[in-house]
Amino acid sequence: MNDIVALNKKDFETNQDVRWCPGCGDYAVLAQVQKLMPTLGIPRENFAFISGIGCSSRFPYYMETYGMHSIHGRAPAVASGLKLARPELSVWVVTGDGDALAIGGNHFIHAMRRNIGLKILLLNNRIYGLTKGQYSPTSELGKKTKTTPHGSIDRPFSPVAVALGAGATFVARTVDSDLAHMAQVLRRAAEHEGTAFVEIFQNCIVFNDGAYDAITDKSVRDDARLMLEHGKPLLYGKERNRGIRLRGLEPEAVTVGENGVTEADLVVHDEAADHSGLAFFLSQFDAPKLPVPLGVFRAVSAPAYEDMNNQLHADAEVRRGRGNLAGLFNSGDTWTIE
Amino acid sequence: MALMITDECINCDVCEPECPNSAISQGEETYVIDAAKCTECVGHYDESQCIAVCPVDCIVADPNHGESKEQLHDKFLKLTATPA
Repeated sequence: MNDIVALNKKDFETNQDVRWCPGCGDYAVLAQVQKLMPTLGIPRENFAFISGIGCSSRFPYYMETYGMHSIHGRAPAVASGLKLARPELSVWVVTGDGDALAIGGNHFIHAMRRNIGLKILLLNNRIYGLTKGQYSPTSELGKKTKTTPHGSIDRPFSPVAVALGAGATFVARTVDSDLAHMAQVLRRAAEHEGTAFVEIFQNCIVFNDGAYDAITDKSVRDDARLMLEHGKPLLYGKERNRGIRLRGLEPEAVTVGENGVTEADLVVHDEAADHSGLAFFLSQFDAPKLPVPLGVFRAVSAPAYEDMNNQLHADAEVRRGRGNLAGLFNSGDTWTIE
Repeated sequence: MALMITDECINCDVCEPECPNSAISQGEETYVIDAAKCTECVGHYDESQCIAVCPVDCIVADPNHGESKEQLHDKFLKLTATPA
Protein backbone atom coordinates (compact mmCIF):
# COMPACT_ATOMS: atom_id res chain seq x y z
CA MET A 1 0.00 0.00 0.00
CA ASN A 2 1.26 3.41 -0.87
CA ASP A 3 0.76 5.54 2.21
CA ILE A 4 2.55 8.60 0.87
CA VAL A 5 0.01 11.36 0.36
CA ALA A 6 0.84 13.73 -2.45
CA LEU A 7 0.77 17.30 -1.16
CA ASN A 8 -0.31 20.32 -3.15
CA LYS A 9 -0.16 24.07 -2.73
CA LYS A 10 -3.41 24.15 -0.75
CA ASP A 11 -1.81 21.99 1.93
CA PHE A 12 0.58 24.84 2.66
CA GLU A 13 -2.05 27.57 2.93
CA THR A 14 -3.46 28.53 6.31
CA ASN A 15 -6.91 29.80 7.18
CA GLN A 16 -5.50 33.18 8.21
CA ASP A 17 -6.47 36.32 6.32
CA VAL A 18 -3.32 37.55 4.66
CA ARG A 19 -2.69 41.00 6.08
CA TRP A 20 -0.38 42.60 3.61
CA CYS A 21 -1.51 45.71 1.76
CA PRO A 22 -3.40 45.08 -1.47
CA GLY A 23 -0.78 45.12 -4.21
CA CYS A 24 2.16 44.13 -2.00
CA GLY A 25 4.91 42.09 -3.63
CA ASP A 26 4.89 39.71 -0.66
CA TYR A 27 1.83 37.90 -2.04
CA ALA A 28 3.74 36.71 -5.09
CA VAL A 29 6.59 35.41 -2.94
CA LEU A 30 4.17 33.56 -0.65
CA ALA A 31 2.43 31.97 -3.63
CA GLN A 32 5.69 30.77 -5.14
CA VAL A 33 6.94 29.36 -1.85
CA GLN A 34 3.62 27.56 -1.29
CA LYS A 35 3.88 26.11 -4.79
CA LEU A 36 7.44 24.96 -4.26
CA MET A 37 6.95 23.19 -0.92
CA PRO A 38 4.88 20.22 -2.12
CA THR A 39 7.37 19.51 -4.92
CA LEU A 40 10.36 19.02 -2.62
CA GLY A 41 9.46 15.54 -1.43
CA ILE A 42 9.65 16.64 2.20
CA PRO A 43 6.83 15.77 4.64
CA ARG A 44 4.92 18.87 5.68
CA GLU A 45 5.73 18.34 9.34
CA ASN A 46 9.43 18.65 8.50
CA PHE A 47 9.20 22.27 7.38
CA ALA A 48 9.69 25.21 9.72
CA PHE A 49 9.40 28.89 8.85
CA ILE A 50 11.11 31.32 11.21
CA SER A 51 10.83 35.08 10.93
CA GLY A 52 11.81 38.21 12.80
CA ILE A 53 9.83 41.44 12.69
CA GLY A 54 8.49 43.35 9.73
CA CYS A 55 5.94 42.94 6.97
CA SER A 56 7.79 39.98 5.47
CA SER A 57 7.99 38.40 8.91
CA ARG A 58 4.26 37.72 8.87
CA PHE A 59 5.13 34.86 6.53
CA PRO A 60 4.94 32.00 9.06
CA TYR A 61 1.28 32.82 9.79
CA TYR A 62 0.42 32.01 6.21
CA MET A 63 2.40 28.79 5.90
CA GLU A 64 0.66 25.62 7.09
CA THR A 65 3.92 24.36 8.55
CA TYR A 66 5.65 24.68 11.88
CA GLY A 67 7.05 28.13 12.43
CA MET A 68 7.82 30.98 14.74
CA HIS A 69 7.43 34.73 14.50
CA SER A 70 10.51 35.40 16.60
CA ILE A 71 12.56 38.37 17.75
CA HIS A 72 13.47 41.38 15.62
CA GLY A 73 16.64 40.58 13.68
CA ARG A 74 17.15 37.30 15.52
CA ALA A 75 15.41 34.86 13.22
CA PRO A 76 18.73 33.36 12.03
CA ALA A 77 19.71 32.71 15.67
CA VAL A 78 16.41 31.00 16.50
CA ALA A 79 16.52 29.08 13.24
CA SER A 80 20.13 28.02 13.84
CA GLY A 81 19.15 26.56 17.20
CA LEU A 82 16.33 24.65 15.59
CA LYS A 83 18.51 23.34 12.79
CA LEU A 84 21.14 22.11 15.27
CA ALA A 85 18.54 20.39 17.44
CA ARG A 86 16.62 18.93 14.49
CA PRO A 87 18.99 18.76 11.51
CA GLU A 88 16.50 16.71 9.48
CA LEU A 89 14.11 19.69 9.22
CA SER A 90 13.95 22.04 6.26
CA VAL A 91 14.32 25.37 8.04
CA TRP A 92 13.45 28.63 6.29
CA VAL A 93 14.03 32.17 7.46
CA VAL A 94 11.94 34.95 6.00
CA THR A 95 13.25 38.42 6.68
CA GLY A 96 13.48 41.90 5.23
CA ASP A 97 16.03 44.63 4.60
CA GLY A 98 15.46 46.15 8.04
CA ASP A 99 15.20 42.92 9.99
CA ALA A 100 18.20 41.21 8.38
CA LEU A 101 20.52 44.11 7.67
CA ALA A 102 19.86 46.77 10.31
CA ILE A 103 18.96 45.29 13.71
CA GLY A 104 19.83 41.76 12.59
CA GLY A 105 23.06 42.39 10.67
CA ASN A 106 25.10 40.50 13.23
CA HIS A 107 23.03 37.31 13.16
CA PHE A 108 22.73 37.49 9.41
CA ILE A 109 26.46 37.50 8.70
CA HIS A 110 27.20 34.73 11.17
CA ALA A 111 24.62 32.41 9.65
CA MET A 112 26.44 32.87 6.32
CA ARG A 113 29.83 32.39 7.91
CA ARG A 114 28.85 29.10 9.54
CA ASN A 115 27.14 27.70 6.47
CA ILE A 116 24.34 26.30 8.56
CA GLY A 117 21.51 24.66 6.63
CA LEU A 118 19.02 27.53 6.56
CA LYS A 119 17.20 28.95 3.54
CA ILE A 120 17.15 32.69 4.07
CA LEU A 121 14.73 34.73 1.97
CA LEU A 122 15.30 38.47 2.28
CA LEU A 123 12.38 40.45 0.90
CA ASN A 124 14.06 43.73 0.03
CA ASN A 125 11.69 46.66 -0.51
CA ARG A 126 14.33 49.28 0.38
CA ILE A 127 12.11 50.86 3.04
CA TYR A 128 10.67 50.20 6.49
CA GLY A 129 7.14 49.34 5.50
CA LEU A 130 5.58 48.06 8.72
CA THR A 131 6.53 51.26 10.57
CA LYS A 132 5.16 53.31 7.69
CA GLY A 133 8.04 54.46 5.57
CA GLN A 134 11.43 55.17 7.10
CA TYR A 135 14.70 54.64 5.20
CA SER A 136 16.43 51.28 5.48
CA PRO A 137 20.02 50.05 4.95
CA THR A 138 19.19 49.45 1.30
CA SER A 139 17.47 52.80 0.64
CA GLU A 140 19.32 54.75 -2.00
CA LEU A 141 21.38 57.89 -1.31
CA GLY A 142 19.28 61.03 -1.38
CA LYS A 143 16.04 59.15 -0.71
CA LYS A 144 13.42 61.26 1.02
CA THR A 145 11.51 59.37 3.69
CA LYS A 146 9.85 60.26 7.00
CA THR A 147 13.20 60.03 8.78
CA THR A 148 15.24 61.57 5.97
CA PRO A 149 13.20 64.64 4.98
CA HIS A 150 16.21 66.22 3.24
CA GLY A 151 17.30 63.01 1.57
CA SER A 152 19.32 60.11 2.98
CA ILE A 153 23.06 60.58 3.47
CA ASP A 154 23.52 56.91 4.46
CA ARG A 155 25.15 54.90 1.72
CA PRO A 156 23.16 51.72 1.03
CA PHE A 157 24.79 48.33 0.82
CA SER A 158 23.98 45.34 -1.30
CA PRO A 159 22.60 42.35 0.65
CA VAL A 160 24.24 40.08 -1.94
CA ALA A 161 27.62 41.72 -1.33
CA VAL A 162 27.21 41.43 2.45
CA ALA A 163 26.33 37.73 2.16
CA LEU A 164 29.29 37.06 -0.11
CA GLY A 165 31.60 39.02 2.16
CA ALA A 166 30.46 36.84 5.05
CA GLY A 167 31.38 33.71 3.07
CA ALA A 168 27.97 32.53 1.88
CA THR A 169 28.03 29.38 -0.24
CA PHE A 170 24.77 30.07 -2.07
CA VAL A 171 23.74 33.57 -3.04
CA ALA A 172 21.01 34.48 -5.47
CA ARG A 173 18.70 37.33 -6.34
CA THR A 174 15.28 37.41 -7.94
CA VAL A 175 12.32 39.75 -8.25
CA ASP A 176 8.70 39.45 -7.10
CA SER A 177 7.23 40.09 -10.54
CA ASP A 178 9.13 37.38 -12.42
CA LEU A 179 7.35 34.22 -11.32
CA ALA A 180 9.22 31.69 -13.40
CA HIS A 181 12.58 33.10 -12.34
CA MET A 182 11.59 33.25 -8.68
CA ALA A 183 10.39 29.64 -8.77
CA GLN A 184 13.66 28.50 -10.30
CA VAL A 185 15.83 30.41 -7.82
CA LEU A 186 13.81 29.24 -4.82
CA ARG A 187 14.17 25.64 -5.95
CA ARG A 188 17.93 26.01 -6.25
CA ALA A 189 18.02 27.49 -2.74
CA ALA A 190 15.89 24.66 -1.35
CA GLU A 191 18.26 22.07 -2.75
CA HIS A 192 21.45 23.71 -1.49
CA GLU A 193 23.31 22.17 1.45
CA GLY A 194 24.33 24.83 3.94
CA THR A 195 23.12 28.41 4.08
CA ALA A 196 21.20 29.46 0.99
CA PHE A 197 20.62 33.17 0.71
CA VAL A 198 18.09 34.68 -1.69
CA GLU A 199 17.48 38.40 -2.02
CA ILE A 200 14.04 39.08 -3.48
CA PHE A 201 13.39 42.53 -4.87
CA GLN A 202 9.92 43.26 -3.58
CA ASN A 203 7.76 46.24 -4.34
CA CYS A 204 6.19 48.08 -1.41
CA ILE A 205 3.19 49.59 -3.11
CA VAL A 206 2.42 51.99 -0.27
CA PHE A 207 5.73 53.40 0.94
CA ASN A 208 8.20 52.80 -1.89
CA ASP A 209 6.17 52.07 -4.99
CA GLY A 210 8.13 51.66 -8.19
CA ALA A 211 11.50 51.03 -6.49
CA TYR A 212 12.26 48.38 -9.08
CA ASP A 213 10.45 49.78 -12.11
CA ALA A 214 13.67 50.00 -14.10
CA ILE A 215 14.15 46.24 -13.95
CA THR A 216 10.50 45.15 -13.99
CA ASP A 217 8.88 47.46 -16.54
CA LYS A 218 8.53 45.50 -19.75
CA SER A 219 9.56 48.38 -21.97
CA VAL A 220 12.94 49.00 -20.31
CA ARG A 221 13.87 46.01 -18.17
CA ASP A 222 15.86 44.02 -20.73
CA ASP A 223 18.40 46.82 -20.95
CA ALA A 224 18.56 47.28 -17.18
CA ARG A 225 18.92 43.74 -15.93
CA LEU A 226 21.35 40.92 -16.48
CA MET A 227 20.05 37.37 -16.15
CA LEU A 228 22.92 35.25 -14.83
CA GLU A 229 23.34 31.82 -16.34
CA HIS A 230 26.11 29.48 -15.26
CA GLY A 231 28.67 28.90 -17.98
CA LYS A 232 27.17 31.53 -20.28
CA PRO A 233 28.63 34.91 -21.26
CA LEU A 234 27.21 37.96 -19.49
CA LEU A 235 24.78 39.07 -22.20
CA TYR A 236 21.73 41.27 -21.82
CA GLY A 237 19.62 43.85 -23.63
CA LYS A 238 16.50 43.74 -25.78
CA GLU A 239 18.56 42.55 -28.71
CA ARG A 240 20.74 40.33 -26.50
CA ASN A 241 23.73 42.17 -27.90
CA ARG A 242 24.90 44.04 -24.82
CA GLY A 243 27.54 42.39 -22.71
CA ILE A 244 30.07 42.81 -19.92
CA ARG A 245 33.76 42.92 -20.71
CA LEU A 246 36.64 43.36 -18.32
CA ARG A 247 39.36 45.94 -18.76
CA GLY A 248 41.75 44.82 -16.09
CA LEU A 249 39.47 44.82 -13.06
CA GLU A 250 37.12 47.41 -14.53
CA PRO A 251 33.80 46.10 -15.84
CA GLU A 252 32.57 47.70 -18.98
CA ALA A 253 29.22 47.46 -20.78
CA VAL A 254 29.85 46.87 -24.47
CA THR A 255 27.83 46.09 -27.58
CA VAL A 256 28.60 42.87 -29.39
CA GLY A 257 29.20 43.55 -33.07
CA GLU A 258 30.44 47.10 -32.52
CA ASN A 259 34.10 48.17 -32.42
CA GLY A 260 35.21 44.63 -33.06
CA VAL A 261 33.61 43.26 -29.84
CA THR A 262 32.56 39.61 -30.09
CA GLU A 263 30.89 37.29 -27.61
CA ALA A 264 34.27 35.74 -26.93
CA ASP A 265 35.38 39.02 -25.30
CA LEU A 266 32.67 38.83 -22.63
CA VAL A 267 32.99 37.54 -19.09
CA VAL A 268 31.57 34.03 -18.69
CA HIS A 269 29.52 33.51 -15.54
CA ASP A 270 30.84 30.87 -13.18
CA GLU A 271 28.68 30.43 -10.08
CA ALA A 272 30.82 27.51 -8.91
CA ALA A 273 34.17 29.33 -8.86
CA ASP A 274 36.27 28.55 -5.76
CA HIS A 275 36.65 32.21 -4.87
CA SER A 276 33.75 34.62 -4.71
CA GLY A 277 35.55 37.28 -6.76
CA LEU A 278 33.29 37.23 -9.81
CA ALA A 279 30.16 37.02 -7.67
CA PHE A 280 31.27 39.97 -5.55
CA PHE A 281 32.15 41.95 -8.61
CA LEU A 282 28.63 41.31 -9.99
CA SER A 283 27.08 42.32 -6.67
CA GLN A 284 28.45 45.83 -7.24
CA PHE A 285 26.62 46.30 -10.52
CA ASP A 286 23.86 48.87 -10.42
CA ALA A 287 21.76 50.72 -12.92
CA PRO A 288 22.08 52.86 -14.91
CA LYS A 289 25.80 52.37 -15.51
CA LEU A 290 25.69 48.59 -15.39
CA PRO A 291 22.75 46.18 -15.53
CA VAL A 292 21.37 44.74 -12.28
CA PRO A 293 22.19 41.00 -12.12
CA LEU A 294 19.44 38.51 -11.28
CA GLY A 295 19.98 34.80 -10.75
CA VAL A 296 22.52 32.70 -8.89
CA PHE A 297 25.69 34.64 -8.09
CA ARG A 298 27.40 31.83 -6.25
CA ALA A 299 26.69 28.17 -5.51
CA VAL A 300 29.56 26.17 -4.08
CA SER A 301 29.73 23.12 -1.93
CA ALA A 302 31.10 23.28 1.62
CA PRO A 303 30.50 21.25 4.78
CA ALA A 304 27.26 22.24 6.49
CA TYR A 305 27.54 23.37 10.09
CA GLU A 306 24.94 20.93 11.40
CA ASP A 307 26.84 18.00 9.90
CA MET A 308 30.11 19.16 11.43
CA ASN A 309 28.34 19.65 14.75
CA ASN A 310 26.91 16.13 14.65
CA GLN A 311 30.32 14.72 13.82
CA LEU A 312 31.90 16.66 16.66
CA HIS A 313 29.43 15.17 19.12
CA ALA A 314 29.77 11.66 17.74
CA ASP A 315 33.57 11.81 17.93
CA ALA A 316 33.48 13.14 21.48
CA GLU A 317 31.13 10.36 22.52
CA VAL A 318 33.49 7.75 21.10
CA ARG A 319 36.43 9.28 22.95
CA ARG A 320 34.79 10.08 26.27
CA GLY A 321 31.48 8.26 26.37
CA ARG A 322 28.03 9.69 26.64
CA GLY A 323 27.82 13.00 28.49
CA ASN A 324 26.16 13.41 31.87
CA LEU A 325 25.05 16.97 32.56
CA ALA A 326 24.17 16.44 36.21
CA GLY A 327 27.51 14.73 36.73
CA LEU A 328 29.30 17.61 35.06
CA PHE A 329 27.57 20.17 37.27
CA ASN A 330 28.65 18.29 40.36
CA SER A 331 32.21 17.57 39.35
CA GLY A 332 35.54 19.36 39.64
CA ASP A 333 35.98 22.38 41.86
CA THR A 334 32.70 22.50 43.81
CA TRP A 335 31.96 23.94 47.22
CA THR A 336 29.09 24.57 49.56
CA ILE A 337 28.20 28.01 50.90
CA GLU A 338 27.06 27.84 54.51
CA MET B 1 -18.42 38.65 -21.36
CA ALA B 2 -15.55 36.56 -20.24
CA LEU B 3 -13.24 38.24 -17.75
CA MET B 4 -9.61 39.24 -18.19
CA ILE B 5 -6.72 40.12 -15.92
CA THR B 6 -4.99 43.44 -16.56
CA ASP B 7 -1.29 44.14 -16.13
CA GLU B 8 -2.05 45.55 -12.67
CA CYS B 9 -1.92 41.92 -11.52
CA ILE B 10 0.61 41.31 -8.75
CA ASN B 11 0.66 37.53 -9.16
CA CYS B 12 -0.67 36.88 -5.69
CA ASP B 13 -2.35 33.64 -6.77
CA VAL B 14 -5.48 34.33 -4.73
CA CYS B 15 -7.87 34.05 -7.70
CA GLU B 16 -6.59 30.83 -9.23
CA PRO B 17 -7.98 28.38 -6.68
CA GLU B 18 -11.31 30.26 -6.49
CA CYS B 19 -12.28 29.78 -10.13
CA PRO B 20 -14.97 27.08 -10.40
CA ASN B 21 -14.13 26.58 -14.09
CA SER B 22 -10.34 26.28 -13.64
CA ALA B 23 -10.02 29.08 -16.18
CA ILE B 24 -7.22 30.91 -14.36
CA SER B 25 -3.57 29.98 -14.62
CA GLN B 26 -0.15 31.47 -14.19
CA GLY B 27 0.86 33.16 -17.42
CA GLU B 28 4.21 34.42 -18.54
CA GLU B 29 3.95 37.86 -16.90
CA THR B 30 0.79 37.72 -14.83
CA TYR B 31 -2.07 35.34 -14.19
CA VAL B 32 -4.36 34.86 -17.18
CA ILE B 33 -7.97 33.82 -17.79
CA ASP B 34 -8.87 31.36 -20.51
CA ALA B 35 -11.88 33.07 -22.10
CA ALA B 36 -13.12 29.72 -23.40
CA LYS B 37 -13.59 28.53 -19.83
CA CYS B 38 -14.72 31.73 -18.10
CA THR B 39 -18.45 32.08 -17.43
CA GLU B 40 -18.05 35.00 -14.98
CA CYS B 41 -19.17 32.30 -12.53
CA VAL B 42 -22.61 32.16 -14.16
CA GLY B 43 -24.04 28.77 -13.24
CA HIS B 44 -21.86 28.47 -10.13
CA TYR B 45 -22.19 31.66 -8.10
CA ASP B 46 -24.03 34.98 -8.06
CA GLU B 47 -20.83 36.97 -8.34
CA SER B 48 -17.50 36.42 -10.04
CA GLN B 49 -15.30 34.77 -7.43
CA CYS B 50 -12.03 36.08 -8.80
CA ILE B 51 -13.23 39.69 -8.76
CA ALA B 52 -14.43 39.23 -5.20
CA VAL B 53 -11.03 38.08 -3.95
CA CYS B 54 -8.64 40.15 -6.10
CA PRO B 55 -6.76 42.52 -3.77
CA VAL B 56 -5.90 44.98 -6.52
CA ASP B 57 -9.13 44.96 -8.56
CA CYS B 58 -7.35 44.03 -11.76
CA ILE B 59 -10.00 41.67 -13.16
CA VAL B 60 -12.40 43.26 -15.64
CA ALA B 61 -14.76 42.27 -18.42
CA ASP B 62 -12.85 41.31 -21.55
CA PRO B 63 -14.03 43.63 -24.34
CA ASN B 64 -12.88 41.11 -26.93
CA HIS B 65 -15.23 38.45 -25.64
CA GLY B 66 -18.70 39.98 -25.54
CA GLU B 67 -21.20 37.40 -24.28
CA SER B 68 -24.68 37.69 -22.85
CA LYS B 69 -25.74 36.02 -19.59
CA GLU B 70 -27.52 33.38 -21.68
CA GLN B 71 -24.41 32.68 -23.70
CA LEU B 72 -22.38 32.41 -20.51
CA HIS B 73 -24.94 30.00 -19.13
CA ASP B 74 -24.70 27.90 -22.30
CA LYS B 75 -20.95 27.87 -21.87
CA PHE B 76 -21.42 26.73 -18.27
CA LEU B 77 -23.67 23.87 -19.43
CA LYS B 78 -21.13 22.80 -22.02
CA LEU B 79 -18.24 22.96 -19.56
CA THR B 80 -20.08 20.94 -16.93
CA ALA B 81 -21.71 18.46 -19.31
CA THR B 82 -20.85 14.85 -18.58
CA PRO B 83 -19.38 13.22 -21.69
CA ALA B 84 -21.82 10.70 -23.11
